[in-house]
Amino acid sequence: MALDRAVIEELRHAVGREYVIDSRNDLRIFERDASIEGAVPDAVVLPATTAEVSSVIRVAARHRVPLVMRGAGTGLSGGAVTIRGGIALQVTRMRKILEIDPVAQTALVEPGVVNQELSLAAASHRLFYAPDPSSQKACTIGGNAAENSGGPHCLYYGVTTNHVLGMEVVLADGSVHWVSGDAPDRIGLDLCGVLVGSEGTLCAITKVKVRLLRTPPSIATLLAAFPTIETASQAVSAVIGHGIVPSALEMMDQVTVGAVEAHYHAGYPTDAGAVLLVEVDGIPESTSELMAAVRNVLAENQGYAMREAQSPTERDLLWAGRKGAIGALGRIKPNYYLHDGVVPRSRLPQILSAVGEIGVHYKLPVANVFHAGDGNLHPNILFDLRERDVLPQVESAGEEMLRAVVELGGALSGEHGIGLEKSAFMPWVFSADDLDAMRRVKGALDGQGIMNPGKIFPDPERKSLHLAGRTGLAVEAKWW
Amino acid sequence: MVTSRTSLEKPVTAEELARLLHEAAEAGQAVFPVGGGRAAQMGDPPARDGVAMSTSGIDRVLEHSQADMVVSVEAGITLEALQEQLGKSGQFLPLDPFNSPGHTIGGLLATGWTGPLRLRYGSPRDFLIGIRVALPDGRLASAGGRVVKNVSGYDLMKLHYGALGTLGVIVAASFKVFPKALHDDTVESTYESMDQAWAAAEVALAMPMAPAAVELFSSGRVLARFLGSPEATKRTVADLGWTEADGAAWVAHSKAAPKLWARIAAPRHALRPILDKLGADQEWWASPGTGIANWAIAGGAEDVRAIRAVATAGGGSLVLMAGPDEFRHDAGAWGTPPATLHLMRRLRYAFDPSQVINPGRFVV
Repeated sequence: MALDRAVIEELRHAVGREYVIDSRNDLRIFERDASIEGAVPDAVVLPATTAEVSSVIRVAARHRVPLVMRGAGTGLSGGAVTIRGGIALQVTRMRKILEIDPVAQTALVEPGVVNQELSLAAASHRLFYAPDPSSQKACTIGGNAAENSGGPHCLYYGVTTNHVLGMEVVLADGSVHWVSGDAPDRIGLDLCGVLVGSEGTLCAITKVKVRLLRTPPSIATLLAAFPTIETASQAVSAVIGHGIVPSALEMMDQVTVGAVEAHYHAGYPTDAGAVLLVEVDGIPESTSELMAAVRNVLAENQGYAMREAQSPTERDLLWAGRKGAIGALGRIKPNYYLHDGVVPRSRLPQILSAVGEIGVHYKLPVANVFHAGDGNLHPNILFDLRERDVLPQVESAGEEMLRAVVELGGALSGEHGIGLEKSAFMPWVFSADDLDAMRRVKGALDGQGIMNPGKIFPDPERKSLHLAGRTGLAVEAKWW
Repeated sequence: MVTSRTSLEKPVTAEELARLLHEAAEAGQAVFPVGGGRAAQMGDPPARDGVAMSTSGIDRVLEHSQADMVVSVEAGITLEALQEQLGKSGQFLPLDPFNSPGHTIGGLLATGWTGPLRLRYGSPRDFLIGIRVALPDGRLASAGGRVVKNVSGYDLMKLHYGALGTLGVIVAASFKVFPKALHDDTVESTYESMDQAWAAAEVALAMPMAPAAVELFSSGRVLARFLGSPEATKRTVADLGWTEADGAAWVAHSKAAPKLWARIAAPRHALRPILDKLGADQEWWASPGTGIANWAIAGGAEDVRAIRAVATAGGGSLVLMAGPDEFRHDAGAWGTPPATLHLMRRLRYAFDPSQVINPGRFVV
């Protein structure tokens, strides 16, 4: 459903003629994010200021046109997909770091600022921004705030919501508000807290004030091999059970390690059933003490071939293997699909064995590379989109894996968001009354339902829409 | 106290509480949730009479998974009872509110009261992972879950935290809990001048191994706590060079509860200029690392309003934590509402359209 010419003209008036895209060919670029399903927007607008964002939303509200925010398009749950058509509001022209305050240890940024750019900019003050999604070289802070993104170091430092101090947001009526800010214990309801992670369904985010942390004086990174994924899982529980909360505790299975090693030559042990990447930080005394304790616990749990990074370069190499694992998996199959369900940490052995069985059943290779310390899975189902009829199999396998997560007391998503792909599963974990409470929030802030419709909440029509309109484009190399 | 009660209900299940809440709402009665009664004087005096709804009969530990470091409890459990349970596994909830003991978990979540450990661990806002509330229409609604990382659906935990029950009465909550530190060291130092005391607090805060708590008192005393591995903690304490103190100092400190009491919160570097306006005769204690101070008010409503104006100008706030009804009425418990009040009211209306819960008490 193309937009009325009058709407396009209003959008052009709002942001300038050259910043409205409405040709069919150009729009196709915005069809996808990094998830599996796509839909072509009716128009893409690229505002440069909050005032322009507000004007665009007023146009959308006046004509009741869906409005979907879009950052780098690295999201994994379809949050930036214009499933009901309408306007994609691309924030990449809003990418200024407005302020870094080294004394208050805060930064004020526009939503299009890339996650890693912020940490690089803060580094000169010996500060860093803690949430570090594996897509941090590309993903934006606005997208991170909308999705409440995580990353390997969230085990110790917390996810995005723990680091957002305040935001400037534009609501569905075009009104602009500051929510929260630098001071703690602010008066009234925590609007900022509910808007972070609302996946673009409640507001557009136009500025984000974040907390920066002091760069730890010492970091120790250890790679350890385990005979099986089960022994590695037990080691994860044992480390935490000993009262040690590392800053990161990541697991990769044999399939992943093989691909990573072939690609990065980081010295990962390819004979291992699984490897753990453990990092602790602090002052030198504490990292050496903690790492010694970690080594003991890992050794008691059949850990072997332990290798501690001896230099920042070696540390980077170990992390390159972890953060680039998905790309390396392309050596096995060109495409992948993954959920990011979370199980209670003690259930890791059970869920990983269930995931393995599901992969075998569907004859699809599965590569596990995930935030083990949080119990946050990433079972990558590997496939080749050129093989006919493979996609329904892939999706069924993913759905079964998620079902197993829920049956073990887990959650549908740890950091990727519900978006499009998991909205149908929300009733697995939430009752009708639970969902009704969430809908009250939606109704209070976006009565017309123009903000990112079709996301989070189960849509009765959704099953029939499933995968309709697929273009057959290969899923590009992606981040997670 | 909330003086306008006409009766007291003490349900023993969440379902019963939801039913009683619904009945009260249908009858046009107000409901005042009561936990341990430790924050009973928080907020403005109620706008009308109503039913006091005690949660003290709903106080079970629903599940404590030691290996997962997650606990789910009913709202009426006291913080002390929960800590005892967690302590058996070497774990704890890093929450040490003032006017202890006797706080209930539900009360702490509804009021947002915190203590010195907030510096290291944040507030429950950061480790509350699931919540269940009773709504005036009789429904029970949950959000979040029992895993430490979860982005499934809206984060309603944040909305209910500190909302003084106005979006629903909290009946259960799940938390990420923490292992007790390998080593726990407390040190103190006392200074002649406040300039020295503030400077000393900043020195402690800037240590390469960050302190878990730093409290500064109007007497010039500074109390600091370091949690971590033994060698690192010892080295840090030695480098700082203060006097070793008994860890029991923190328990004593948590009992602080002035009869006339205000909390001042500001961006951390804006806190001192506000406290400097208090005058040397006033007693207070502050957490310079978080920007929060507590003032034992020796003065009248006009003094509160004057300091509140300073706090507000500094980007902060002043909230009354305790005091007689008349005093709270005169000074106002909350001060100038935020610019987004109309949005907050829309949310409140969506959950409690006839203002059944705590009418008149919260800012929204």
